[in-house]
Amino acid sequence: MTTIAEIVLLVAGTMAVALAGLGLLVARTTALRLHFLAPASSLGVPLVVAALAVDEGWGRTAGKVVLIGVLLLGSGAVTVSALGRATAQRSGLVETDSPE
Amino acid sequence: MTPWLAFAAALLLVGLAPAVVAAGRRGTMDRLAGLALAGTVAPLVLLELSAGYRRTSYLDTALVLAALSLTGSLVFARLVARR
Repeated sequence: MTTIAEIVLLVAGTMAVALAGLGLLVARTTALRLHFLAPASSLGVPLVVAALAVDEGWGRTAGKVVLIGVLLLGSGAVTVSALGRATAQRSGLVETDSPE
Repeated sequence: MTPWLAFAAALLLVGLAPAVVAAGRRGTMDRLAGLALAGTVAPLVLLELSAGYRRTSYLDTALVLAALSLTGSLVFARLVARR
């Protein structure tokens, strides 16, 4: 059975992802678009994972869900950082081979 | 339809659809930004589907997808940076 807490967490997480999707479409520069990726991974993922963990309770399944959430949370930051660096390199702001 | 399936559909609509649109237009880096968002949203959809259908085996797919989307985005970023 889905509780009120799970619904609230799911609504908040879905709204964070919606903000990221909307920002990706309406932002005018590439750097702004990359910034709008953050709400999905840093807000949306923890909220949805928390809803799932509350639903499952303590156990192996909840542990696996939290593991996936931690992986997504970390990979979001790493991906945006790498994309930002690649954008800077393509526009000539940063040397392609640095740092050595 | 359980709430989990409804929210999975909502995530597909508000998260994955804009990512696909962004990945299908504009420049190279904007397409990669769309790919990165899709790589975050798709595992979330699988998590909600696993709860909706009560099948924990879907979690394995989400775990593999989360790991591979990170790797894929990093490889693409490395390749397009060299141009």
